[in-house]
Amino acid sequence: MTDQSPEKSEGAQAFPDSFDLEGEFARSNVQAVLEKLDRELVGLAPVKQRIREIAALLLVDKARRSMGLETGAPTLHMSFTGNPGTGKTTVALRMAEILKNLGYVRQGHLISVTRDDLVGQYIGHTAPKTREVIKKAMGGVLFIDEAYYLYKPENERDYGAEAIEILLQVMENQRDDLVVILAGYANRMEVFFQSNPGFRSRIAHHIDFPDYSEKELMSIAQLMVDAQHYVLTPEAQKVLRDYIPRRMKMPHFANARSMRNALDRAKLRQANRLFGRKDRTNLTRHDLTTIEAEDLLQSRVFQV
Amino acid sequence: MHENPRNMTQGQFSFLPPLTDDQIKAQIAYAIKQGFAVSVEFTDDPHPRNTYWEMWCQPMFDTKDPAAVMLEVNECRKTWGANHYIKVQAFDNARWRESVAMSFIVNRPKYEPGLALARQEGPGRSIHYTVHSYATDKPRGERYK
Amino acid sequence: MATPTGAKKELKGADRYKAGVLEYKVMGYWQPDYVPKDTDVIALFRITPQPGVEADEAAAAVAGESSTATWTVVWTDRLTAADLYRAKAYRVDKVPNSPDQYFAYIAYDMDLFEPDSIANLTASIIGNVFGFKAVKALRLEDMRIPVAYLKTFQGPPTGVMVERERLDKYGRPLLGATTKPKLGLSGRNYGRVVYEALKGGLDFTKDDENINSQPFMHWRDRFLYCMEAVNRASAATAEVKGHYLNVTAGTVEQMYERAEFAKELGSVIIMIDLVLGYTAIQSISKWARKNDMILHLHRAGNSTYSRQKNHGMNFRVICKWMRMAGVDHIHAGTVVGKLEGDPLMVKGFYDTLLQPHTPVAPELGLFFKQEWASLGKCMPVASGGIHLGQMHQLLHYLGEDVILQFGGGTIGHPDGIQAGAEANRVALESMVQARNEGVDYLAKGPEILAKAAKSCKPLQHGLDTWKNISFNYESTDTPDFTPQVTPAR
Repeated sequence: MTDQSPEKSEGAQAFPDSFDLEGEFARSNVQAVLEKLDRELVGLAPVKQRIREIAALLLVDKARRSMGLETGAPTLHMSFTGNPGTGKTTVALRMAEILKNLGYVRQGHLISVTRDDLVGQYIGHTAPKTREVIKKAMGGVLFIDEAYYLYKPENERDYGAEAIEILLQVMENQRDDLVVILAGYANRMEVFFQSNPGFRSRIAHHIDFPDYSEKELMSIAQLMVDAQHYVLTPEAQKVLRDYIPRRMKMPHFANARSMRNALDRAKLRQANRLFGRKDRTNLTRHDLTTIEAEDLLQSRVFQV
Repeated sequence: MHENPRNMTQGQFSFLPPLTDDQIKAQIAYAIKQGFAVSVEFTDDPHPRNTYWEMWCQPMFDTKDPAAVMLEVNECRKTWGANHYIKVQAFDNARWRESVAMSFIVNRPKYEPGLALARQEGPGRSIHYTVHSYATDKPRGERYK
Repeated sequence: MATPTGAKKELKGADRYKAGVLEYKVMGYWQPDYVPKDTDVIALFRITPQPGVEADEAAAAVAGESSTATWTVVWTDRLTAADLYRAKAYRVDKVPNSPDQYFAYIAYDMDLFEPDSIANLTASIIGNVFGFKAVKALRLEDMRIPVAYLKTFQGPPTGVMVERERLDKYGRPLLGATTKPKLGLSGRNYGRVVYEALKGGLDFTKDDENINSQPFMHWRDRFLYCMEAVNRASAATAEVKGHYLNVTAGTVEQMYERAEFAKELGSVIIMIDLVLGYTAIQSISKWARKNDMILHLHRAGNSTYSRQKNHGMNFRVICKWMRMAGVDHIHAGTVVGKLEGDPLMVKGFYDTLLQPHTPVAPELGLFFKQEWASLGKCMPVASGGIHLGQMHQLLHYLGEDVILQFGGGTIGHPDGIQAGAEANRVALESMVQARNEGVDYLAKGPEILAKAAKSCKPLQHGLDTWKNISFNYESTDTPDFTPQVTPAR
């Protein structure tokens, strides 16, 4: 027998003449994912707007297909550009969820890799390595961070080209099976796309992740503090507000990630402070949750 | 008289029209759902007791999606498809089975010469039989040309 | 029993062994407080006592007569550790919906039995006791064999998984057919049927139970022609093929001679009939293990004692004994075919043959938890009045580890034997494919077959010929427990 798949019936198919977009949207649970994203990530209004637009496009696409309007398999590969710590991985995770809910990928998992996961050091190692990664990501989303490192024009015998070739093939031929998201700094991605036009033409959605403002970074820090059951004293809050613009000017600033690091170090100092106390036999709940100004002030940011 | 046109009917689905890629994927999805490890093997010698076909890759123990297996099937077809048999196998490691659970052909060589039967007569009308694959008359690489 | 003594409790010491006749109950064969040991063999009997005989006395009598007792007290018991050797009836239940019948549980110490001997086990359990006057009728329903005793048996010489590996056939039921007509074909004509069926797509063909060495076809002739057919078919299909060569004969020596010849010719499988007797079955099983031969058993004769509900023995006990004695295939019912087979009862047989352990499941007729102690799996064979139009039901009820035998359904095909075989194979493969694709194949079976028939004319003709054939007779051997309670008749 040639064809048993139940969805493909023979002969002319009767198409419905209406589509319940509202109902389909409710059933897909996409709203819940968007709300989760709102809770998880402060600000990023333009990014969230783009995600909403993509979700809408995919829903309408589904509606069109249900009425037999030929749309062709949509290209879903994306590029996420922006500085470190701007929420690219988190958005990618939610994107995978949305794609799964709308039926564009089967499993909805996210595999996050960098050049080292794809490219081997010796001849013949790259293809199997890349294939192994692609196999793991099949049915979900493959997130390649700092994708431009795949391409090293200065090295003639770089094996990255092999990985690129395989990736391009899969991105073209197995669009139903895998969505690829390339991520990295905006300017370097631009250079990368110029030298690898194959990638640019296969990418449907470019999303730019802006840096956070001082105010947004403060909210992010506050969210993190709350989530970990700590409290900043009013003085500590003031110090943190002062800390943010100083840190932003320093090298290796990484937006939300820098805030997390700053808080992690403050927690360390708090623990140290508590341990050094003479009356450490009866610590209160208050003691254990409070981060004081001094816990932040010892940062090297204030020493320069 | 009616005669089956195929001369190599190993595997679960050899009497059906060749499986489409979607049908192959559906079988692989079933295997993955059962917790089987799927593998791809190829050979140019269809002898019924040729147990050890070449392994195209390791059995895929942790694969979640049929497209991953399909990728290997297609790679194997690209390299060997013109003149080799390729089969997909699923291995079940559950106690009391610990063996192959599924096996079906996903690629055939363009020309299939089949097998010959050689008879060696012995005393008392007894005959010793040898089943012999025509393809193996030539060295590897020159078969099925 | 006659001459009751009036005593109600078990007697001990000198009173117990005074010459004379005692109730079995007071002789120690009824022990309601007894807790069976893990190493005990337990038997469950369905007892129909004679009018006036109490159920516990009847149970004690069965325990007595199947172990140490004779009709009168013997002093020589006192030279033994008699308490150990006495079987103990320890529980009697009323059979649901059958007022005159009781289930009696009887425990036997393992030392009552010779290791690795079905003959010895059965000589006790079903030896004298079935003719015993105190019971009007008696049926052995089930047995619990302790792991320690099971470990003395070889079990199936090959086992399902090794058989599949040898045949290189996985993920689907196997297909077979019995050569027909049963009697009268010459060796040459007989081999023709084998060749056509195997080349057409079956995995196995089979001698019938009464094909041994008769005037119309002597065994050597049959073996030679069949192996020509098997090897031709194998070369034509690149598949391993087999024909169950029936080696049943008048003496065990002749059987060995035939088995050796089958081996010499390169057959992968031989066959025996259940009427050989348990000892001969164990002998040929050991030969089969030694010679890498799959051993097929045809259950010829079993219905003589397994079919009626009140007397004889349940077939599931035969299944247990045969898995112990060691056969690789055994006919175990079809559910939908022409021979006896309630669906739940058949499931009980299949589980007994295939599972590593079976829990208590009264609805399947399994009264005991049974651990199979790593004995191999025995492949059930479904044979008798089944056809390709039932493929969805067969796959649903019988599963994947089964041999579906379409004798008439292959040889009786309007386009010939090869076409019949191909039709069966296409029907089977399309059904397995649909099942794996997640289609509700039981409900959509006819649709799936009709679709497959579009690219397979023989299947279409087969469906046209047999689509309305079914055997809807009521079963006589049915479960006593829900969901389907039927009174015994």
